[in-house]
Amino acid sequence: MTREKVLKSVLWFFTGILATVTVARFLKGLGATTALNDATPWGLWIAFDVMSGVALAAGGFMVAATVYIFGRKEYTPFARPAILTAFLGYAAVSVGLLYDLGIPLHVWHPIIYQQYHSVLFEVGICVMLYLTVLFLEFCPVILEHSCFRHPLFRKVHELLKSFAIPLVVAGIVLSTLHQSSLGSLFLITPYRVYPLWYSPIIWILFLISAAGLGLTVVITESLFSSWFFRHKSNLRLLSHLARAASVILFFYLALRLADLAARGQLGWVLTGSWQALVFVLELSLVALAVILFQSSRIRTSSVGLSIGALLSIAGVIGYRFNVSIVTFSRPENMSYFPSWIEIVVTLGIMAGALLVFIFFVEHLAVFPSESEVDEPAFAHPSASLAVNDPLTMRLLLPESIAAVRRYSLAALIGAALAVSLLSENVRSGAFDLKEPVSPPLQVTGSSEPSTGVSSITRLLAVFRERQRYESDSVRLFLIDGNRNGRLVVFDHDAHAVRLGGQAACATCHHENLPFRENTSCRECHRDMYSQTDIFRHPDHVQKLNGNQGCVRCHTEPGMIKTRDTSLSCGTCHTRRPEASRIIQSNEEGLKGLAPGYMDAMHNLCTRCHRMMVEESPADYERAFAECAHCHEEQGSSYVHDLGPYSAEGKL
Amino acid sequence: MESLLHFARGPGFLFAFAFMVLGLLRHLFLMIWQIARTYIRAGDKSLPYSAIAISSLEWMFPIRKLRDQPVFSLTSIIFHLAVIIVPVFLLGHIELWQRGIGLAWPGISNSLADVLTVVAIVTGLALLLQRITARATRSLSRFQDYALPLLITIPFATGYLMMHPAINPFPYTLTFLTHLVSANLLFILVPLTKLSHMALLPGSQLVSELGWHWPRDAGSRVAASLGKEGAPV
Repeated sequence: MTREKVLKSVLWFFTGILATVTVARFLKGLGATTALNDATPWGLWIAFDVMSGVALAAGGFMVAATVYIFGRKEYTPFARPAILTAFLGYAAVSVGLLYDLGIPLHVWHPIIYQQYHSVLFEVGICVMLYLTVLFLEFCPVILEHSCFRHPLFRKVHELLKSFAIPLVVAGIVLSTLHQSSLGSLFLITPYRVYPLWYSPIIWILFLISAAGLGLTVVITESLFSSWFFRHKSNLRLLSHLARAASVILFFYLALRLADLAARGQLGWVLTGSWQALVFVLELSLVALAVILFQSSRIRTSSVGLSIGALLSIAGVIGYRFNVSIVTFSRPENMSYFPSWIEIVVTLGIMAGALLVFIFFVEHLAVFPSESEVDEPAFAHPSASLAVNDPLTMRLLLPESIAAVRRYSLAALIGAALAVSLLSENVRSGAFDLKEPVSPPLQVTGSSEPSTGVSSITRLLAVFRERQRYESDSVRLFLIDGNRNGRLVVFDHDAHAVRLGGQAACATCHHENLPFRENTSCRECHRDMYSQTDIFRHPDHVQKLNGNQGCVRCHTEPGMIKTRDTSLSCGTCHTRRPEASRIIQSNEEGLKGLAPGYMDAMHNLCTRCHRMMVEESPADYERAFAECAHCHEEQGSSYVHDLGPYSAEGKL
Repeated sequence: MESLLHFARGPGFLFAFAFMVLGLLRHLFLMIWQIARTYIRAGDKSLPYSAIAISSLEWMFPIRKLRDQPVFSLTSIIFHLAVIIVPVFLLGHIELWQRGIGLAWPGISNSLADVLTVVAIVTGLALLLQRITARATRSLSRFQDYALPLLITIPFATGYLMMHPAINPFPYTLTFLTHLVSANLLFILVPLTKLSHMALLPGSQLVSELGWHWPRDAGSRVAASLGKEGAPV
């Protein structure tokens, strides 16, 4: 009883989380909820929910073929659970796909818009057809329930039963097609799949590994069911399945290595790259399972079977992951790690599928009735008598009511937790554009460049020529806040001399931190484009003597205490060099928010440059105040095209 | 401290408030489901609907209940009014809603809020005192009946101190944090304790009436033996 309550509560908890994030996903879109980017349009949802989900559900056609085509009737007990697992697996694949599609309502489009040359079209149509086939295959089990006693249902039942063999054949054909096509998808990206995984016969490898995986999933699912529902599992038959799985998986391993060796790609293993390590790990998981399944003692114990099956599942799912995400090459600065929403959607869909599986097993004859039972299985929920349920603190409730109360509470906690975890970005639907600022590169150069920036020599030459330096030694700052290679060369010392030496520091350096003389710009303007909050509330509370000081800034105690309703910084901080400062605007409204680095630098530099052009047009040409004067690399047209970034961020 | 504050007003509040709203919806769903279930199985399906409706309204707006226990009823009504009005119609809270979801509604003046806050605290403590002193209520009371009134006074007291920092002997941040944490705790407790009556009260009369109708004629027989024939029990 306890294991039922605990497991179902956990599953409902994840389903509750799924409910909340589903709303967020479909209201706010992929950009706000996933970590997908232009280099990784296929993330966790494809790698696990689709690629691995389809492979995990391969047990359905494997067992159906064994029982109905090869006539091995002794495996009949596995047929119904395997077909149910496959049906729910494919249903989960379809649901998962809806999350991943940009426009989920267009999921049916392959039916009408048929692209005969597209592998993806073939996969789509196949999965749709096979889901239908699986539903029809499982329908007789549903129709056996006492709800469907009506003669019409009996007729449908008989009809479907007479179609059993054609349905099984259709299932095998369709499975063979799309299990392999999932691999064929990667044939169009030969340079992005790592050489240890890319293969012209990747579709054969996908099919064979799925066949092996399908059998080990049947083993796992059978062992789980016998633990959860307290059936006795038929270890002798399971060990035969394990034996068959090990043969198929061995063939998969051999073919994979032989293919790599034949094409001369096996040397990549010896390169010592992390991909090589992942490759060795992935293959050794499967190899270990194959070796374990060779021993008949391990094969006939439920622990040995579980370990072997889980190892092979990890190995084959690892194969799908490695091909589609882990070793899939992408630009250096566009890495991908799934967002928590992607992870909980995957977990939630799995939990939901498992709950439906448990529901079907509890209410339908999924497992053969003649199977021996260890101890009395828990009765049908509504048949049991009143119980004490400590979770909801209700005494003497019938189990059917207590169960609804318990599992709805578990789902409720999950849903509320997910609400609290949705970040500001997800709730507002905005993209996270955080781009921290790096300090300017300092270059001390005479004739030889001292940093790794490739264009420095050229820039130095340009700069020196323009300034007509007398000294050989120059100290320059290369301002490139987000390190995107578009830099501005800035000569600090020359500016200081030109503006009047020590006394002129305050011309540019305005809101320095207390007791700091040379604060770098980026210490306050910390983000490239967004505002930074530089106001330190605790320090002010301490300085202004605790509660007595609140009214100094929040003049109206009854009002909500926010930045908007309090006095601006300038009200108290008046002893700043005013007249000589370039940046003076916004003084009254200043509330401790530093604008983005780009805006701050543009304001500071262009203001002064414009002033120079206006005040002494004889000395400075118009170009002195134009973008290209400082942004040397891009050329003026490019910089003009950049357009202003808004400094308004939500803080 | 600041980070705790940030948590309590961000994810902490979101969790507590979502838990309350979804939890009350869950209670409503369970109530309707169980009413339907009981009704389907009831032996006697004839229910005095108009009497139930009137009785429900009487309990939701208990003006006529004033006659039985005038002092207690009046204290209770004032307490409920203050507890509902202050948090919902406080200008500061409305501004927070405006910032969060863009909805605003008319509020009460801060001075009225001050008065009602004190009223809520005083009547809350008075109700607790009444519960402790009267023997009948004392024997009916559980732990939550004592704990909840005390817990409810905390956000009100701290809220008052936040509005008047000059007379606040505690650090402001600590007061703020206590305000947030106690209010969040109350939100979480709403679906788990008797506070769920804020959603379940309209159905309570129907539920108790339905209970008497399970075996046929049971209700009328009990009513007859209580001498309350024709009235909802």
